[in-house]
Amino acid sequence: MHYTAMIIVVLIAVASVAGLVVRAMSEQDARQSATADAAFASRVAASQIAAHLLLLQQTVGMVAANPQSAGLLSSPAGACTLPFAGAGPFSIGHLDIIKSDGTVRCSSKAFSPGPVYGAASWLPTAITRSVTVAPFLDPATGRMSAVVATPMAGGGGTVAAIMDLAQVGSNLGSALAGARQLEFLVTTDNGKTVLTRSLNASYWAGRSLAGTAFEASSPSMERSDVDGTMRLYATSPVGSTPWLVYAGADAAAALAAADLSSNRDLAIIVGGAAIMLVVIFVVYRRVVEPIRQLSLVIRSSTLSGAVGTVDAMGASEVTGLAEDFSKLMATVKHELVERLNSEQEAVVSERNYRTLFEGHPQPMWLYDTETLAFLEVNDSASDRYGYTREEFMTMTIRDLQRPQDVPKFLELQAMPMPALDRTGPWRHLLRDGSEIQVLTTSHAVIFGDHRARFVLAEDLTDSRRLELELVESHARAEHDAELGRAKDEMVAVVSHELRTPLASIVGFAELLATREVTPAQRKEYLAVMLQEGRRLTALVNDFLDLRRFEGARPSMRFTPADIKALITRAVDLFSEPGGVAITMSLPDELPLVRVDGDAMFRVIANLLSNAHKYSPLGGAIRVSARVVDGMVEVSVQDKGLGIPAEALPQLFGKFFRVESPDRGSIGGTGLGLAICKNIVETHGGKIGVRSDGPGKGSTFYFTLPVVREEAQSGDVLIVEDDSGFAHLVEAELQTRGLSSIWAADAETAGHLLTGARAVVLDLLLPGLSGEAFLHHLRATRGAGIPVVVVTLKDLGAAENLSLQKAGVTAVLRKGAGTAAAAATLITQCLASELVAI
Amino acid sequence: MSLRTPTELELQRTVLIADDESSIRLLVHATIESDDYTVVEASDGAQAWALAKELKPSLVLLDVQMPGQSGLEVLRSIKADPGLKATRVILLTSKAQERDIEVGLIAGADFYLTKPFSPLDLLTRVEEALEL
Repeated sequence: MHYTAMIIVVLIAVASVAGLVVRAMSEQDARQSATADAAFASRVAASQIAAHLLLLQQTVGMVAANPQSAGLLSSPAGACTLPFAGAGPFSIGHLDIIKSDGTVRCSSKAFSPGPVYGAASWLPTAITRSVTVAPFLDPATGRMSAVVATPMAGGGGTVAAIMDLAQVGSNLGSALAGARQLEFLVTTDNGKTVLTRSLNASYWAGRSLAGTAFEASSPSMERSDVDGTMRLYATSPVGSTPWLVYAGADAAAALAAADLSSNRDLAIIVGGAAIMLVVIFVVYRRVVEPIRQLSLVIRSSTLSGAVGTVDAMGASEVTGLAEDFSKLMATVKHELVERLNSEQEAVVSERNYRTLFEGHPQPMWLYDTETLAFLEVNDSASDRYGYTREEFMTMTIRDLQRPQDVPKFLELQAMPMPALDRTGPWRHLLRDGSEIQVLTTSHAVIFGDHRARFVLAEDLTDSRRLELELVESHARAEHDAELGRAKDEMVAVVSHELRTPLASIVGFAELLATREVTPAQRKEYLAVMLQEGRRLTALVNDFLDLRRFEGARPSMRFTPADIKALITRAVDLFSEPGGVAITMSLPDELPLVRVDGDAMFRVIANLLSNAHKYSPLGGAIRVSARVVDGMVEVSVQDKGLGIPAEALPQLFGKFFRVESPDRGSIGGTGLGLAICKNIVETHGGKIGVRSDGPGKGSTFYFTLPVVREEAQSGDVLIVEDDSGFAHLVEAELQTRGLSSIWAADAETAGHLLTGARAVVLDLLLPGLSGEAFLHHLRATRGAGIPVVVVTLKDLGAAENLSLQKAGVTAVLRKGAGTAAAAATLITQCLASELVAI
Repeated sequence: MSLRTPTELELQRTVLIADDESSIRLLVHATIESDDYTVVEASDGAQAWALAKELKPSLVLLDVQMPGQSGLEVLRSIKADPGLKATRVILLTSKAQERDIEVGLIAGADFYLTKPFSPLDLLTRVEEALEL
């Protein structure tokens, strides 16, 4: 706005200055123009006067020279007339032939008789040549006149043209005054006497200038006229006469014209300025202001504020531009706002997730699946594990593993992991060296450009464990209730099962006691009583076993075992001479399985017993083993009675027995398979049966988990079939800082030698004997491994000697304190690496 | 082994023993062995019902817990059959099955004996039932 005002001020100033200059210049121009006009007019007037004077002189001279004129001098006055029409400005006057006495003899007008011009200076007596005399008061007319006179030849008279001067002034004025209303002033006598004047001519003809304003003003170009009016004068002499013609332009009129002109110019300038102002204003309003606003809007358009709009009052181009800009701004702003919003949302969302992550009460972290390095940990992880976040960032998840778990851990990491994985419990090391148990839930994520896993660790060692325990105790309570119901049912069933043989025994005993019976009857009755008594015993035993394997799981002791040795021993038990042929199909190499040897032997024996029992017509029994899906599967196949399809689902239930005429005489408690199922499931395996139906034989099979590689080594190998004693030795070794691995038979022990630095050996073992194992040990591992023998056997001298030869460190007889003694001996041997008996 | 031809009355005097346990059947049979009636054995419920319909026994000694058709089902069938109106039933049960006893008595059993039972006691009950 301010520079619009400035422009206006400057324009006004420029207009003012221009006005002054124009005015000055225009005045000067007006003077010059008026003066020039006056000069021209004066010259024209002077030349007309001169020319017509000459014409008058010639006219007069011709009349004078005419011989007739002389004759007229003598003729009566008024006897003739002269034709005369004047000349130019000298339009009024008369031509006279005048006698030397001053009487008019002939004239162009009627004249008065008498010597009218008797005193005239130009009479023929006074002149000898043509003269021009002015001013001359014509007695005939009473008017100031100019006289052109020429003496006639012979001197008798004079021819004179007497012209009215006032008329000359009037004629000049009307002919030459022009638009400027020039004043003509013809003077003589060095400008002292007026001959004629275009204005007020009758008054001024012949009058003296003395005392006039004209005379008083300096004879410069601009001077006052006789009336006091300032005029711009130019002067021209008239021919050979002393006359001067003044032509004077009215200065005021000239200047007024100049003023008019300059005002017009000013008006043009001011008008131009005004037009310019209007143009400027319009341009400003319609172009500059919108553009300025646009610029302001652009400058003030912030991303946070609203998009400014530009008033749609400018030129269409500017308006269009403004609209375009507004649209652009709106678009840009919309885009930006969208982006800001989405970024803000992202920020908020990220903050929320971060809060969730950081504040989560359970330890969480992200790690790179390739480098295993921590990428992010939450506060809870720092609190629980004792490492600061910065320390975590320098660690890998491997650092949380106990050294002994690292191989297994790495193995697991190397395997493809499911997208969502829940594993555990794991033992994790804290910074202070203590351990916690955690369940980990992890899922694959992309973190930045890392392939990562997001891990949530559920701490089982504190509150979570309590919670789990609570849940477990609920489950246990329910389980207990279930067990209670099952128990009631069991009691009913067992009571029935027990009462049946009891009824026979008691009944026959009473018959025998109260009746006379024949010897044959007695024998028959007693046989039934015996059979039923045995049945009762088997039932009680099975029932107790079932209770043992069902309710007292901790009594099982799991240890690596060579399943082939177990199978072989069980098969040996059933391969009675003349009995059913049992064939074994066992691969040379089978991984060790994790079993309770006694329990597993019972399972195999039970299946073999069933196969035998339900093959009344004989038929081969085949025992085989193989590895299926990382488990060892053992199967017992017979070609006996087979099992009807409808019985298959109940076969492993308690007291279930298949009823069919062909098995009527086959005894059984209905508990064997239930016991087997319990044992196998306690081992983490599954038991099942396949049969194509009655008469088609059946195949019972079960699976067992394989012992992990790392669970197959320890400092000391304990070869002992008595699990109680083996456990004692283990405990004693552990208090001495030694780990141990227990084998329940020599066959299994043969597989566990790798890594063992010492052996505690029982001699009385199922299958392969302790002595045989000792020889195998020395053959494969040399004499370097200390062996302490513990046995119940009373060893003879020969046996002792044999053991000494085999490099046994000591032979201890089993009894109280034997386990501790064996452990001490082993510790000493390992400490000194001394081998001696 | 009787050599005379059984009379019509004698033909009706049949006692059916139904028990899945052969030792119990033997004990019951030995206990009630008599010239006054014929003893027939069945080893399961279905067999027992088939024999009962065919022989129309005067008395059935019925084990409650048998595979297949249970003793109670056989009892109901007998009681529902108009041709067996005269047939008496004694249930043989394990003591724990008190509910079965109750159900059996309601269903029309004449008496029950709990295993292990006294053979002399059983004989007395059989004779009472046969009104000997």
